[in-house]
Amino acid sequence: MAIISRRARRKAAPYLMVLPALLLLAVFAYGVGSGVVQGFGVMPFLDRTEPALAYYEEALTRSDLLDSILFSLYLSAVSSVGALIGGVALSAVMTRAEASRFVRLAGIQVPIATMHALVALALICLFTGAGLFPRLLHVVGLAPDATAFPSVVGAPSGWGIIAVYLWKEIPFVAFTTLTIMMNISASYGEAASTLGASSLRTFSSVTLPLCRGPLLRAFLVVFAFAFGSYEIPFLLEPTVPKALPVLAYIEFQDPDIINRCYAMALNGIMAGICTVLCIIYYVVLQRERVPKGRP
Amino acid sequence: MRKGEMKAGGTMTRRRFVRSVCAVAASLALSLSLIGCTGSPAASSSSAAGSAEEIDYADWDAVLAAAKGQTVTWYGWGGSQPRNAWIEDSLAPALKEKYDITLELVGMDINDILTQLSGDKQAGTAEGTIDFIWINGENFYTAKDNGYLWGPFTQYLPNFNDYVDAASPEVAYDFGSPTEGFEAPYGKTQMEMWVNSDAVPAPPATVEEFKAFCEANPGKVTYPQPGDFTGTAFISTLISGVIGAEEFEKLSMMEEPTTEEVRAIIEPGLEYLRSLNPSLWNQGQTFPADSTTLATMYADGEVIMNMGYGDPQALVDDGALPASTKPFIFSTGTVGNSNFMAIAENAPHKAAALVAINEVLSPEMQLEQFEVLGNLTVLDMAKLPEADQKAFDDVQLGSAQLPAAELLSHRVTEAAGPVIPIIEQLWLDEVVGK
Amino acid sequence: MTAATGQNAQLAARVRRARRGRAVARALVGVELALVALPLAIIAVWAFTDAWPWPDLWPQQLSARGIEQALSGRQNAGVQTLALSIGIAAATAVVSTAAAALACRALCHFQWRGRSAFQFAALLPFIIPSTVFAMGVQVVFLQAGLARTVPGVVLAHSIVALPYAIIIMTDITRAAGTRREDAARTLGAGTWQMLRHVTIPQLLPGILSSLSMCYIMSFSQYFLTLLVGGGKVQTFVLVLFPYLSGGDRTIACAYSLVFLVVTFAVFFVFELLLRRFGVREGDDLYD
Repeated sequence: MAIISRRARRKAAPYLMVLPALLLLAVFAYGVGSGVVQGFGVMPFLDRTEPALAYYEEALTRSDLLDSILFSLYLSAVSSVGALIGGVALSAVMTRAEASRFVRLAGIQVPIATMHALVALALICLFTGAGLFPRLLHVVGLAPDATAFPSVVGAPSGWGIIAVYLWKEIPFVAFTTLTIMMNISASYGEAASTLGASSLRTFSSVTLPLCRGPLLRAFLVVFAFAFGSYEIPFLLEPTVPKALPVLAYIEFQDPDIINRCYAMALNGIMAGICTVLCIIYYVVLQRERVPKGRP
Repeated sequence: MRKGEMKAGGTMTRRRFVRSVCAVAASLALSLSLIGCTGSPAASSSSAAGSAEEIDYADWDAVLAAAKGQTVTWYGWGGSQPRNAWIEDSLAPALKEKYDITLELVGMDINDILTQLSGDKQAGTAEGTIDFIWINGENFYTAKDNGYLWGPFTQYLPNFNDYVDAASPEVAYDFGSPTEGFEAPYGKTQMEMWVNSDAVPAPPATVEEFKAFCEANPGKVTYPQPGDFTGTAFISTLISGVIGAEEFEKLSMMEEPTTEEVRAIIEPGLEYLRSLNPSLWNQGQTFPADSTTLATMYADGEVIMNMGYGDPQALVDDGALPASTKPFIFSTGTVGNSNFMAIAENAPHKAAALVAINEVLSPEMQLEQFEVLGNLTVLDMAKLPEADQKAFDDVQLGSAQLPAAELLSHRVTEAAGPVIPIIEQLWLDEVVGK
Repeated sequence: MTAATGQNAQLAARVRRARRGRAVARALVGVELALVALPLAIIAVWAFTDAWPWPDLWPQQLSARGIEQALSGRQNAGVQTLALSIGIAAATAVVSTAAAALACRALCHFQWRGRSAFQFAALLPFIIPSTVFAMGVQVVFLQAGLARTVPGVVLAHSIVALPYAIIIMTDITRAAGTRREDAARTLGAGTWQMLRHVTIPQLLPGILSSLSMCYIMSFSQYFLTLLVGGGKVQTFVLVLFPYLSGGDRTIACAYSLVFLVVTFAVFFVFELLLRRFGVREGDDLYD
């Protein structure tokens, strides 16, 4: 024990503890990096070591690229903003209702545990031509036949995709803020109302600011997830435009290996957009940290 | 974080030491397992590769001996329950009994299969995990072109040499590109359409009647988006009905097609498809993504006609479709194709793959395929012994099956591999939503 | 006297408003619960449907053929792949949570160079879509011999689950603080004793929460498993997914139902464990 000085051990400790996580992240970085590098045409096994911008050029000049990017951004933006507002509302409502643990479990944990693709399936069962809702409408007399209801699969507005995301992400956002809200309600809520603040005022001046950190983080998570998700757009999107990850994977599946560079260029563009977002988040968070007095 | 917390951490050395040791141990364990994993496949692959190189594939007995005890994987589209059941319940036990080969069926979309093979190629994997593949058409063409397939191998197969007419265009050419022994035939299918005869007593027999049929039932007819095999085949059927089979079959021989050439030939067909749009489901603005989506729509009653390669007999037997389901084809013919089995370049069990493919080509298995799945046989009747010929003739047709002779006499050859994507793109650009 | 009555009236009014507010909130929660239950219910119904022609509001015929197939002992069908998926998910949960727990300890209780850099790096798997990672890492894993093996799939899943685990563990580690541990130390507790009686019980709610979150992440992975597993590692989701894009709705919903039941069962187990270890809500969160 005395061989390694106390000082050295103290200094080494955090670095050692971080090692397993760092290893995982290193593999992640290597995987992503290797992909990005391929976007520049570098494929060592095939003896292609000259970086080239040709693939990026080809990707950027693609006629449907702009539509895909806009479509993906639109889906992510609507989903994340909707999830944010809905999640905060859900959290607040649950706090106000003094929901029991079982109710919280059923209302928040259950959606989180359900896979996205299953929700898409349920949506299809509910809303496609012969789904439950058209049948109900038919019984009521509003829908003459199976084709009258707007389609959930292949709808240009992508409302099916957004609905799937909202169903899962609203509880997710609520999950990140519920504990905080419940604690505030217990401790500060009383103090504030004793001082004469209405519950709405308490909410906006005390609760929301305290939740800001987790909310921002949850927003970022939901946005990035919706932007990069493959399964749901694959199942529910219209023929055109296709979401960006689907576009990238279609190119990736091309048997011609060289086409993989092109697919990786598309991936690089996707990663680039996400990184820009992250930088924005970081900047906003830095500005957040300054006025905060306590952790 | 308060300063006090950090300072307090400074004096707890033994605790942190133990924790640090745990952290190091965990990382070491992780890295060792990574290295271990890297090591073992390499070791096993070299031993497998060693045995593979020693076989003379022309000696069938040597192949059988090498295949004994091997596990062979068969990758292909897993969306047909009856087919999967037949392979697992009939073919796999036969292989185990006769040759001591274990067959592993893996259902995977052909695009994903090719992605795995191209990943192997990029990574330089000598021994992959895919042995043989159910493949045909443009996928075969690109796979062979990019060097993912092993061959030629059909000359090694006794059943191929004995019972298959290798010179027939359906065997020597796959969607217009020469097979050159790189794939062995599996089955023949032809596009059929079906309706519920209770609802539709007189299905259309020509493309003009089909247009009238759509107009009489607006919003109740559609087809899968071309890009999906069935969708492409259906529009090919309609186009060939409009321009005539002879004109259409020009497309099956094109080697270096250009969009202009193809458009020049099929323009009247595209015109016809556009004229159908207003009466179709969703006014032809969107189409179901694939054949299985359309099948669900048909089962739900959203559309009144479905189509596919082969007949719906298995579904009627299962109870998934009503007994009044009746198939039909156009008098101008429907497109048909053969599908094949190919062996991957880096397949680890080539001997077992050869034996399995040979078994699929045996008269017993081909007869069963016809009986159970309605798949037309690829064997040449003239080359079969009398008893087997009789067995094929004696097969009872179900209520939802068309006689093989009728199908084969109204058969249009599909367009060549390179032409298909052009047709699909033309459809996407000039028909959908127009 | 008037003042007292006035105050009483005000109090009564406030209590009434509070009760009404709570009732409204409860109604809204009820609505949300119904919205959650609806998709799950429809899947359950379709799982047992044999025929459900338009425009009936209830299936015409029910049968168990879907469930039979989903739970069959067939190769690459039911129970085998389910067992494998659960195993992979459990392994992922353990690996991610362990790595996250250690890392969070370093992040929260120590000041070291590269701390904020690591904090940023830990967010990367959130920011970079997992599809980009999957397509990039496929070849890397093939070269390393990790592709198409179970450890490879576990590794890949652990990577995408790690940020979630870190978020959960950071919150709990920060909330726990070192106060109790210092106290135990001062009282003369040995390392193991301290870990067993102070550290782990304190972190337990977070550990359990992280385990269940990572389990779900792994159990639900499709794209990553497809590319890294290459068809050789067949998880339940890989078998389920092709049925979702059309096809036999009964089979799709049957597989989905099995998936849901298994997931909720695991969740239920975690919930029981959480309760057994006497978790009290909101304890020590804001000392």
